[in-house]
Amino acid sequence: MTLWRLEWLRLVRTKRWIALLGVYLFFGLVGPFGARYLEQIVSFSGGDIAADFPEPVPADGLAQYVSNAVQIGTLVAVIVAAGSLAFDAVPEMGVFLRTRVTSVRTILVPRFVVISAALIFSFLVGTAAAWYETWVLIGTPDTAGVLAGAAYGAVFLCFVVALVAAVASAAPSVLNTVLISLVILLAMPLVGIVDAIGQWLPTHLAGALASLPGGETSIADYYGAAALTVAATVVLFEAAVRIAAKREL
Amino acid sequence: MIETSGLVKRYGAKVAVDSVDLRVERGSVYGLVGPNGAGKTTVLGLLAGLRHPTAGSIRISAERQEIAVLADTPRFDPWLTGRETVALAQHLVTGRDDNVDAVLVEAGLTDAADRSVGGYSRGMLQRLGVACTVVGSPTVVLLDEPASALDPQGRRDVLDLVARMRGTATVVFSSHILSDVQAVCDTVGVLDQGRLVFQGPLENLLANSGTPEYRVRIRGPVEPVIRALRSHDWVLDVERTGPEALAIIVSSFAEAESGLASALAAADTCVVSMWPGDITLERAFLDVTSAAERTADPTTATPATPATREMP
Repeated sequence: MTLWRLEWLRLVRTKRWIALLGVYLFFGLVGPFGARYLEQIVSFSGGDIAADFPEPVPADGLAQYVSNAVQIGTLVAVIVAAGSLAFDAVPEMGVFLRTRVTSVRTILVPRFVVISAALIFSFLVGTAAAWYETWVLIGTPDTAGVLAGAAYGAVFLCFVVALVAAVASAAPSVLNTVLISLVILLAMPLVGIVDAIGQWLPTHLAGALASLPGGETSIADYYGAAALTVAATVVLFEAAVRIAAKREL
Repeated sequence: MIETSGLVKRYGAKVAVDSVDLRVERGSVYGLVGPNGAGKTTVLGLLAGLRHPTAGSIRISAERQEIAVLADTPRFDPWLTGRETVALAQHLVTGRDDNVDAVLVEAGLTDAADRSVGGYSRGMLQRLGVACTVVGSPTVVLLDEPASALDPQGRRDVLDLVARMRGTATVVFSSHILSDVQAVCDTVGVLDQGRLVFQGPLENLLANSGTPEYRVRIRGPVEPVIRALRSHDWVLDVERTGPEALAIIVSSFAEAESGLASALAAADTCVVSMWPGDITLERAFLDVTSAAERTADPTTATPATPATREMP
């Protein structure tokens, strides 16, 4: 039994994988459907109100997926990551692990990698579902844009996990970890309203899958944010290791 | 061997551990006793590296992974089985998991080994904690109240297990159950308000502490005897412990040995039996801690020296 297997079992036995995969797959299937039939849905639910929407284009299917998955998916991701990374939340469990390893990094690396991998896998499955359904219902989205958008989205998710790891290393409980992480993630788009700042923030990457397939932005528009996000991910993870190492139980 | 020098741990203005000089010989079983809040768990946390000393030094003759720690209320991921938990504990320390079944047998968990830990009782969790502690064959074992949640049989099993470690591992065993300490420890440290008020062999604690007391059984009226005994200045108190039984607190055993028989004869009573009272660890402990309370000045904490931790 290794710490890697422990994390795998945590995902499987606690059914967290269902939460992760379910939320992205659900929005991957619902997003393009909503984009295709938005007019009919609004007309049906609005009674006499006549709605006139432009004919959907393939990029709309993925944009609908992203708009839902980024919010709800990130919320679920933060909760699942906090449950794994806040290993000192129950001090007795922290004692069990900490007194058996030479460095807290040994504990954090498998948790970070397994959660990130599960998140990225779920996000990619959702993206694939959205891509397929968009192709069936609306038309073929730009392949390069979808792939690049998915890659940028994956980088953003790694950043989210690293942020949760850093917060968890100092926060006293899982709930505190979730709340503080969400406040930070919610504050980013607010700061990003200033375009000069926003295009450098990790949250800029989260919307890449919505913008790239439609040609609203180019792949190069995200280079700065991607580089900064990768750097921030590394810094946050290192901070998590250092803070956790100094923590007392 | 474990050695601390001037070990201090402060939380703000509160001094949790005050200048503790611990000395635990290699292969011995050391009992750390003290009332609740005395600092036992803090001292174990400092030895385990889970807390950082404010001042003083810690020297442990063991590699980091040769030190095993058992928390007072061990908890584990509830979706793991007992076998998986012990396997994880061994793998983290040794990189193998070949000792799991033997340890599960020793801990009395064979039947529950493949059940989820979430369904374990508190006593079973304590046994599992002990199994996880010993599975890596550690050379230093730090046990925080390891038998506190166990039934009498479980307590006996854990104490036997601790006793079997003597010679092969250095064990520091904290407990407020003094009979447990008396059963397995050869050296005792008494902590009170963060200070180590006694440290040494158990026999020394028992021999040097406690008010001398004689127990006497007589036949006939008791009250006249009590009055007669109280007239002697070396008799500090006389307590009636039964219909015809007395506990006589004396200023010293020597004076009682020379004067008690004649004092009883002078009281004109029939003596059935007479013997010196046992000094239990409870009594010795209470004497040591109450003496420390009388001498302690809570406003003065020992001056701090920089904290260090030394391991090979």
